[in-house]
Amino acid sequence: MAQIPSRPPRLEGKVAIVTGAGSSGEGVGNGKAASILFSREGAKVLLVDFQEDRARETLQLIQEEGGVASTLQGDMTNIEDCQRMADTAMERYGRVDILDNNVGISQRGTVVEVSEEDWDKVMTVNLKTIVLASKATIPHMIASGGGGAIINISSIAGLRAHSSTPYSASKAGVIGLTFSMAADHAADNIRVNAIAPGLVYTPMVAPRMNDDLRQYRTDAAPLKTEGTGWDVGYAALFLASEEARWITGICLPVDAGLTAIHPGTFTPMNQQTRY
Amino acid sequence: MRLAGKVAIISGGSRGMGAFEAELFVNEGAKVVVGDVREDEGRVLAEKIGRDAVFVRLDVTSEEDWAAAVKEAVDRYGKLDILVNNAGVSARGSIEETTGADWDRVMDINAKGVFLGTKAAIPEMRKAGGGSIINISSQLGLVGMNESSPQYQASKGAVRIFTKSAAVQCASEGIRVNSVHPGPIVTPMTEARRSDAAVQQVMVSRIPLGRYGESEDVAYGVLYLASDESSFVTGSELVIDGGWTAQ
Repeated sequence: MAQIPSRPPRLEGKVAIVTGAGSSGEGVGNGKAASILFSREGAKVLLVDFQEDRARETLQLIQEEGGVASTLQGDMTNIEDCQRMADTAMERYGRVDILDNNVGISQRGTVVEVSEEDWDKVMTVNLKTIVLASKATIPHMIASGGGGAIINISSIAGLRAHSSTPYSASKAGVIGLTFSMAADHAADNIRVNAIAPGLVYTPMVAPRMNDDLRQYRTDAAPLKTEGTGWDVGYAALFLASEEARWITGICLPVDAGLTAIHPGTFTPMNQQTRY
Repeated sequence: MRLAGKVAIISGGSRGMGAFEAELFVNEGAKVVVGDVREDEGRVLAEKIGRDAVFVRLDVTSEEDWAAAVKEAVDRYGKLDILVNNAGVSARGSIEETTGADWDRVMDINAKGVFLGTKAAIPEMRKAGGGSIINISSQLGLVGMNESSPQYQASKGAVRIFTKSAAVQCASEGIRVNSVHPGPIVTPMTEARRSDAAVQQVMVSRIPLGRYGESEDVAYGVLYLASDESSFVTGSELVIDGGWTAQ
């Protein structure tokens, strides 16, 4: 008969790096939620953010719950900062097991409208940061022994048109990159998976929202419930843990069913609601 | 206790992935109705688990059996929150070798069984204010493979898209429906296929994570989808295949 193990914390003994671990405003974004959930399940967490005071806010929440974490300022578009991040995790905690690549910005415009500068910027921030952070971290994961788990935060905008062409292209790139990274690093038992959040209400989108738009986004998907950073965080927790030990190279939509259905009469973001 | 207070039905629960899930779910606080046509094994399992599990005979192609399984969940444990449509059979043969009867048998169990289970569960999940249905499809419900039979693949593809249809139809009731797509798993169902060591070796060498799957690998994915942690996830395909189809 099956031997069901008793239930220790799901990330006991693990060390996680979360980029974009702070939220840009009030509330809980994907990175903050993942950081808190990782900590609750026993991981030590290095909270990396371009603005360290945002990461410190996450740190405070973790410490209030008795978790072990620390912050680091870093620009993930810079390879030296990425290297410093990976080295810091090793120095402070002795190993690295998990990397949550959560840095991202939005960018509007058709290919006719978008400037070259803005295009390059969104590709660098949304896609290249994953390459640089992973490039720096993977050798340390290998040195730590025990494999690793990389989670890349994409978007449903990487699966369908969403009136946000540069953003969509970068997020589609994240998915393709994830497949390749999964194939490349499986031999080292490093699993790489993507999450595609749907119309989730987080501090990043909040500034653009009014009540009508918030309702519009909530009603857009079949479940008609409002998604939060926690929904994305729990998906990251599952994929980061040993429970997902045979899962690699997948893209998991966390989108209340939006990409599972025919769009019907749903208009994918009019002028007011586009990213 | 990620399933605290929940009641689940697991079809094909007597052995393999279903049996692992039954024990895992109870471990996480659920009560489980184990349904299967393999009655001896099912009763032994339910007995072993104790009062939080009960066995019912469940032929997934029978509407009466489904009604009885749902009634057992409600009468014994008070409600129904979770349904794992796990029962399935495999088959061999090329298109030309496959008879109409061969096709019908596999489609009835693997595809129609999932439809009948879903249909039977909806009214009680509606009463419970929501629920989670997890349909076990396959890697081979996504891609074609020469070593598999056409009706097995067709049935698993049916499960995949039925899941999306059910997800949109049931969403307003708070019932989530997701499909799981395992790669090759070491279970009684795949035993015959794994008997050739040379073929095994070749297969395994192609899988990025370098091994066949275990029931445990799939069961924890099913647990995630059954639990409230995935409450914003519906209509999705959770591929659990060691990275094979990422290539």
